[in-house]
Amino acid sequence: MCDSCGCGVGDEAVTFTKHGDHHHHGEGHTHTHADGSTHTHDHEHPHTHDHDHSHNRTIAIEQDILGENSLLAQRNRGYFEAKNVYTINLVSSPGSGKTTLLEKTLTEIKDIPFAVIEGDQQTMNDADRVASTGAPVLQINTGNGCHLDADMIHTAYKELQLKDDSVLFIENVGNLVCPALFDLGENTRVVIISVTEGEDKPAKYPTMFDTANICIINKIDLLPYVQFDVEKCKEYALQVNHHLEFFELSATTGEGMDAWYTWLRENIKK
Amino acid sequence: MSIAMSIVDIACKEAQQDGASSISIIELDVGKLAGIMVDSLQFCYDSVCKGTLAENSKLVINEIAGKGHCLKCDTEFEIDSFMALCPECESYEVEIKQGRELKLKAVTVNE
Repeated sequence: MCDSCGCGVGDEAVTFTKHGDHHHHGEGHTHTHADGSTHTHDHEHPHTHDHDHSHNRTIAIEQDILGENSLLAQRNRGYFEAKNVYTINLVSSPGSGKTTLLEKTLTEIKDIPFAVIEGDQQTMNDADRVASTGAPVLQINTGNGCHLDADMIHTAYKELQLKDDSVLFIENVGNLVCPALFDLGENTRVVIISVTEGEDKPAKYPTMFDTANICIINKIDLLPYVQFDVEKCKEYALQVNHHLEFFELSATTGEGMDAWYTWLRENIKK
Repeated sequence: MSIAMSIVDIACKEAQQDGASSISIIELDVGKLAGIMVDSLQFCYDSVCKGTLAENSKLVINEIAGKGHCLKCDTEFEIDSFMALCPECESYEVEIKQGRELKLKAVTVNE
């Protein structure tokens, strides 16, 4: 979990906005527990705290803390499978080029119906950029939250009215820590690292690289100007996760994008 | 923070169902590879507990060591990071068997 941004404080602040819309959904959002019950953050409890400590007892619980999210992620997965929607969760630190990669992909592939869920703490900037490609897009503003969770995705895809046989891209909040812990029900998790970052990112943030299926090394057009050892980066990433598949590309110049498109076409067929 | 909130939510619900008046201890199993920073969890925990049955309760964390299984030579060994190197054959092809746990183990309540 993130220790710097106070992630997740007050789900009430989460907003869902379609490109062009100005109304907000999700305010006053309640938590759904594993047993289906809900609560609304009313922390009042009128009883007294006077009690006899000699009556302490321990209740064994043995419950997975992320169990609720995992259950919701499974529900999302079932929905996507029924509609034959292939879902890709894009994760990275801020500024690695997720949105540019999306813009390029959505602009250059016109025969696949795409939809996009954008996650950011604030602003509609990314949704506006993606909307200019013509793809349906919904922006989730997480407020203080530094990751998307399965429940937010559930709300978002209902708003988006996904088409059967489409591809849904989820652009997670830019953060290499918390998004790693939250299964959204995606088919594939793609971690993006740009060559302007340190090549030891996989060693520094191993959980993210451990949970990803694909690693895209972006901005390779900048390699002559920066100190970044691509092979070393791959070596670190493979030490964390020996199943990782790599793409080296520049979403800005288009170099290396064909291999990514080929992978995309081959995998959505499965 | 959302993880601390989930922990306190689950614990308070259990305590409430049990008819308890307050919670004195919440016990967790946290694997070394669970991606959880214990200090930061503790910090968030205290603020999340305010105004709930768990106010002034103590968070007890059992750290679960990581265990890896080498897919090349079948050796099992203790690991403390995802970059696990097999001590026998020096391969990185290691499957993680234990250490990702993030579980609410038990809640001690007052009647």
